[in-house]
Amino acid sequence: MNPLLVLLSSQQLGPVWPFNFLKYAIRGAVGAGVSVNTIVLILLLPLVAAFIAAARHLIGLRGFGIFLPAALSVVFVATGPILGVGLFILIITVSTLLRFIFRKIKFKLQYLPRMAFILWSVSVAVLGVLFLAPVIAWPALTNVSIFPVLLLALLAEDFSRVQLGKSAKTAITLTTETLLLAFISYLFLTLTFVQKIALLNPEYYLIGVAIFDLIVGKFVGLRLLEYYRFRKLLRS
Amino acid sequence: MKLSSILGLNARTQLFAYRYNTQKGKRIADSKIQTARVLKKAGIAHPEIFKVFRDSRDISSFNWDSLPESFALKPSRGTGGEGIIVVKKRIDINSWLTTQKTSVTIADLKLHTQDILEGAYSMGSVPDVAFIQEYVGRAVSFRKYAFRGTPDVRVIVFNKVPVMAMLRLPTRESGGRANLHQGAIGVGVDIATGITTKAIWHGELIILKPGTNRKLHGIKIPNWTTILEIAVNAQMVSGLGYLGVDIVVHPEKGPMVLELNAQPGLQIQLANMEGLRKRLERVEDLEVRDAEHGVKIAKALFAGRFADRVAVEEGIKTIGTKELVKLVTLDGHKIDTWAKIDTGAWRTSIDRSLAQESGLLDTKNVLWSKVFKGALGTEKRPIINLKFYLAGRKISTLASVANRSKLRRPLIIGRRDLTGFLVKT
Repeated sequence: MNPLLVLLSSQQLGPVWPFNFLKYAIRGAVGAGVSVNTIVLILLLPLVAAFIAAARHLIGLRGFGIFLPAALSVVFVATGPILGVGLFILIITVSTLLRFIFRKIKFKLQYLPRMAFILWSVSVAVLGVLFLAPVIAWPALTNVSIFPVLLLALLAEDFSRVQLGKSAKTAITLTTETLLLAFISYLFLTLTFVQKIALLNPEYYLIGVAIFDLIVGKFVGLRLLEYYRFRKLLRS
Repeated sequence: MKLSSILGLNARTQLFAYRYNTQKGKRIADSKIQTARVLKKAGIAHPEIFKVFRDSRDISSFNWDSLPESFALKPSRGTGGEGIIVVKKRIDINSWLTTQKTSVTIADLKLHTQDILEGAYSMGSVPDVAFIQEYVGRAVSFRKYAFRGTPDVRVIVFNKVPVMAMLRLPTRESGGRANLHQGAIGVGVDIATGITTKAIWHGELIILKPGTNRKLHGIKIPNWTTILEIAVNAQMVSGLGYLGVDIVVHPEKGPMVLELNAQPGLQIQLANMEGLRKRLERVEDLEVRDAEHGVKIAKALFAGRFADRVAVEEGIKTIGTKELVKLVTLDGHKIDTWAKIDTGAWRTSIDRSLAQESGLLDTKNVLWSKVFKGALGTEKRPIINLKFYLAGRKISTLASVANRSKLRRPLIIGRRDLTGFLVKT
């Protein structure tokens, strides 16, 4: 039996109002057949978003906005982190390599056809990896579903676009930061201990995250990495 | 420096950009075409726009042969100086030489314009507008410092007061762009005098221009007061209370506004070794009448040292590179002597025999001795008290004593004692 279901049914509940209404709602939905994993994933999404926002505003990790790392972490949940990172790196390598070659041989295409061509090569590369399944017999690979792959292929466009506008160094830093954020978000989504908090105390948990978002949004102090960036000023 | 003096990204956005910048202002700053329109209406100098391309038909119907000898092709909503082609010479009927020493043909320009229209360089890749703009070359005083590109002066203006400024020098690495993130050098500028102070490259302090032994401090930016006033005027018409104004100095036409930036970068604090937040808070509630008033306030508040503030009240004097100064001897007589005005030197320096003759090497007058390491080995130089009159202004200072008998002028006056003067070369 699903450990989350065990967890849910082991909890003793008091009256519905004022602090237990969400718990009853969750039980009702699960009883009607909604997957408890889906509910946990959706419950934890605000936490992931709050974490990514805090990483930018309190720590100073930029990443690619909030959507990319969050989407990536969901991909990791679906495919497993190793295959997820592997596919991600494959896709970026292909699109970057292509861009580099185009620039070297001075082959000029207009913007949208160029992007289409990059997506073409990304699809071929991912297909190539899937075709390896009979050879390496890795369950994660055979079980991979269409949505994570599709999502990754579309994310490649965003990455390529950012690489277009920035230097290689910035692109690599941003990519690393995004991967780091996505990986930590993935941990949030999968750690039993975090799932337990969200599932068993959804009311407190949701209000807590909302308050945290508001505090982060109003914070005007220096970010952690800015202490390093302005260290010479601070010392002077 | 205190933590609260430094402006971080969170504070910039919430305390200043959100609070003082209107939506309309942001729209104007984000589009170079709109910026140019607003500046033109207000009569503020800016590079002229020759042609705007809004869709593919504009590209095919435009007579590309009619393009001038030099021009710049830019995206209206580009970021970080991306997607700009600057040409400075026509090679033949069909092609031009860019500032990066590559050649472009009409076909290249058409393709690039098409890329711009499709949003390859715009924020968020949304379709954009391309335009052709007047070419602004380098002013004579910057020619030695910038590599294949036009340097600009970034002035942060808040509440009609120019609070901090930085000279941005393109390097080989930055590919002609004056953007710090692309590898350009940021040079801090003293607001009162327009003389450069410190320089940063990739976030690290540097003294010399990389690859050369040319000092980056002590550069006098031409038309400084005009630059500051133009920056303030641009702020007043922009709808932005807090912004960065990028100003280029046209070799013939003088300073002109190139771009407005609603979220100017924070590296400028490192280039000046000053915190921006404290300065912004100091001018936040001031009642400022106009650009002239704002510039006066800035010069008084943000002058490099105390002496500057006095000098600003007295008015700034212009002097040449050699000046006849009156040296005060130990027993109070004044003797005339020629001095070299050297904004590249920090401390004033006097010839040993002249110091000896005027009695200044008396032990009572020698403060301490400093060991200098030069090309000819180490040398012990006394540091003495020195008084002289420069352009009618009395200056009491410290000077190092050196053997200058082989040089034309027995006295060098350094930057330390030139606050409140403009040096005309």
